[in-house]
Amino acid sequence: MRIDLDRPRCEGHGLCEEAAPQLMHLDDEGELVLDQEEVGEADAALAQAAVRVCPVAALRIA
Amino acid sequence: MSTGDVRRVVVVGNGIAGVTAADTLREAGFDGDLTVVGDEPHAAYSRPALSKALLREGDDMTTHRLPPAGHGAQELLGVRATGLDLERRLVHLDDGTALPYDRVVLATGSRARRLSALPDELTLRGLDDALLLRSRLADHPSVVVVGGGPLGMEIASGCLSGGCRVTLVSQGAPLSRQLGPYLAGVFLEAALGQGLTVVETASARIEGAEGTTRVVLDDGMVLEAETILSAVGDVPNTEWLGDTGLTAGGLVSVDSRCLVRPEIAAVGDLAIFPTSRGPRRIPLWSSAIEQAKVAARALLLGEQAPPLEFQPYFWTEQFGLSLKAVGDLPLEGEPEYVDGGPGGPALMRWTHADGTGVAAALNHRTPIPRLRRMTRAAA
Repeated sequence: MRIDLDRPRCEGHGLCEEAAPQLMHLDDEGELVLDQEEVGEADAALAQAAVRVCPVAALRIA
Repeated sequence: MSTGDVRRVVVVGNGIAGVTAADTLREAGFDGDLTVVGDEPHAAYSRPALSKALLREGDDMTTHRLPPAGHGAQELLGVRATGLDLERRLVHLDDGTALPYDRVVLATGSRARRLSALPDELTLRGLDDALLLRSRLADHPSVVVVGGGPLGMEIASGCLSGGCRVTLVSQGAPLSRQLGPYLAGVFLEAALGQGLTVVETASARIEGAEGTTRVVLDDGMVLEAETILSAVGDVPNTEWLGDTGLTAGGLVSVDSRCLVRPEIAAVGDLAIFPTSRGPRRIPLWSSAIEQAKVAARALLLGEQAPPLEFQPYFWTEQFGLSLKAVGDLPLEGEPEYVDGGPGGPALMRWTHADGTGVAAALNHRTPIPRLRRMTRAAA
């Protein structure tokens, strides 16, 4: 599966990073960086959790 | 992982607390029967978005949409829980059926407190409320918002940016009770600058009849508008727990793992949990998520599960300002400016009398982990 970021929508809350720090982080400017866009089965639940906590629906699983 | 004798879990409530609990149960290895009961016909959505992006005219109506649930639970939507039988371990539903459980999560949230039973008094709590308000705003009505908390102010901001004439009625200065005087002042200045009319009052009531509904203040002043909306707090949805003895003052008290009893968890807006500042209800998005994660593991693992360690995260967007704050609000006194300064984008820090810190970013794009680090630096 792949994680899609709708960048204009992202407000930099960073709750996704707190849910899945292995997959994404906010850089020093508060911009979200997807460290892994392609996610394997092992990290699927983690990716789901990160996508779920976004209060502005900026992340999607494709 | 074995989850022992837990075969059936019922999650009552399909808001972010209930959904997160269900997700976390699966993550923690629970592969038995999972049922989620939600009284709204909608799939779970982002409540914070309802009073922010969703009210903006150009919004494409998707910012509140959460991705489809991944927990694979049986979802009973549009169904309300009417009772909990502790002895027989049953959740009674309004369709006359009952769900047996080994573990149950109470996550029925809360509803808007109202000032009247008049249909012309709008509130904004659920998706249907937001869609109704949005459709009303298309005609650019005059609006009176009763309630000067974050929700009332966000709604006022949304109505104003939609081209409405807006009056906000507030007990004391808007936002002062929630944010403290300094930040409240910053927001009030921005609101007044954008044309919001603010009326402070000791109390307000909503009266009249359909079509002639009006707001009456304690000094007798009468406010009329084409749309009247109140945002005056919430009432926990716990009546269904009636005679179980699990509620006090309408709320459910839980332990540090969000459990009421070993087989019952309570999470989200209806729960009071222990914090370093005593038992508190913290009805915020991130609070619901953290509580639900802890509760789900505790239901399966008991005292081997980690307890809740929660630091509040609050944000609001209104009148062109975006605030993100980590730590306990409200705030006394003026901040220390870590970056920027008054009147512009700023990173601020406060230290409470008990030594705990609060970090806030105003129109300043700052990673939340950095805000969390800043609160520790202040302590």
